[in-house]
Amino acid sequence: MGEMEELRKEADNLKDQITEARKVVQDTTLQEAVAGTTLVGRVQLKTRKTLRGHLAKIYAMHWGTDTNCSKLCVSASQDGKLIVWDTLTTNKVNAIPLKSSWVMTCAYAPSGNMVACGGLDNMCSIYNLKGKDGNVKVMRELAAHTGYLSCCRFLNDSEIITSSGDCTCILWDIETGTEKTIFAGHLGDCMSLAVSPDFKMFISGACDFTAKLWDIREATCRQTFSGHESDINAIGFFPNGNAVITGSDDATCKLYDLRADQELITYQDSGIMCGVTSLAASLSGRLLLAGYDDFNVNIWDMLKAERVGVLAGHDNRVSCIGVSSDGMACCTGSWDSFLKIWN
Amino acid sequence: MGGIPLSEISHTEKLPLLRNCGRCVETIMSSKMQSSNNTAHARRTVQQLRIEASIERIKVSKASADLMHYCGEHAKYDPLLMGIPASENPFKDKKPCTIL
Repeated sequence: MGEMEELRKEADNLKDQITEARKVVQDTTLQEAVAGTTLVGRVQLKTRKTLRGHLAKIYAMHWGTDTNCSKLCVSASQDGKLIVWDTLTTNKVNAIPLKSSWVMTCAYAPSGNMVACGGLDNMCSIYNLKGKDGNVKVMRELAAHTGYLSCCRFLNDSEIITSSGDCTCILWDIETGTEKTIFAGHLGDCMSLAVSPDFKMFISGACDFTAKLWDIREATCRQTFSGHESDINAIGFFPNGNAVITGSDDATCKLYDLRADQELITYQDSGIMCGVTSLAASLSGRLLLAGYDDFNVNIWDMLKAERVGVLAGHDNRVSCIGVSSDGMACCTGSWDSFLKIWN
Repeated sequence: MGGIPLSEISHTEKLPLLRNCGRCVETIMSSKMQSSNNTAHARRTVQQLRIEASIERIKVSKASADLMHYCGEHAKYDPLLMGIPASENPFKDKKPCTIL
């Protein structure tokens, strides 16, 4: 097959070109650049609230972002419930029973009007929190994925992006319940996604060990980042949108710069041998909080790549973590069925 | 409600047979339909690589400097980094005062 041979050669050439182009701009390393920067002092956060109410493992949580709900968050548990919490009072604002208890992800719309969830039912269910009669009902069931729903994030009240075990991500029109764009390219289950601060791009992490940057409106994959040696479970943007942080089963987190198109640093420690399940950046981006399979959260100085703190308090795997939009608090969710608020 | 407990699903079990191990994609099967799928897949891979090879890149020194600058500029507004005085912490339980 002459054509296959030619295509293979061209692919190899292009890969070499990319490797070369990345080397050309590598005039220093982040490690060298921050040599003169002082390490952040020890960070000691305390549990301020414990949110009790779920009866099984918590798989996901997401903070509200609107000024009206900056202290609200939604959590999803395999007890078959989505709970919207007022984190200041620990009261449950809503307790939403789900059709399928095998939930893996949840999301809060930026407007605060809706929440979404999905999991082994392969669907993304959208719930209207502000229905006329006060009842929370399913508004849409977005069905098209042929694999489990691993993550979902709202762009606005009419659009949501989902990632799936079928190796694709989809941009949905919530109104019509149909797919606007299918983002294909990953060669393994997509595990996590994050939307850029300007809502123009999103990044996905997958079981093919790569992270991909997608242009939402152009519907293209702009960049692919490799380096991890196992599944990427968690992904997030650095607050200015110019860099991406990933967390993997290979026990490390990595920082990739989008404009330099390469990995800048790896967050690893010989004492850490278990997978990263979740991650979140503090408001300034200086701190990286990462949840691990060993029940802890490690806090890293993002520039110096050294551990500066630990959050120990859960009795099982930390499955999800988030920093509130005003940066005032960090929330962790665990397989021990509790959520904790720290600052 | 059926389903396998998540703890028992191995993610790597789901990787399809077609794996991109850093080189061009190839499958083991040899039927005509499979090989035209192969070619279509290989063409898409090359197309995607062309897009990724063509982007403009900035120097790591500039990328690092910009990240450091952002952290520096925003540090004072980062409550988890700076610490929150008890009186300004809405999450801290206020202890009742006892008048002695």
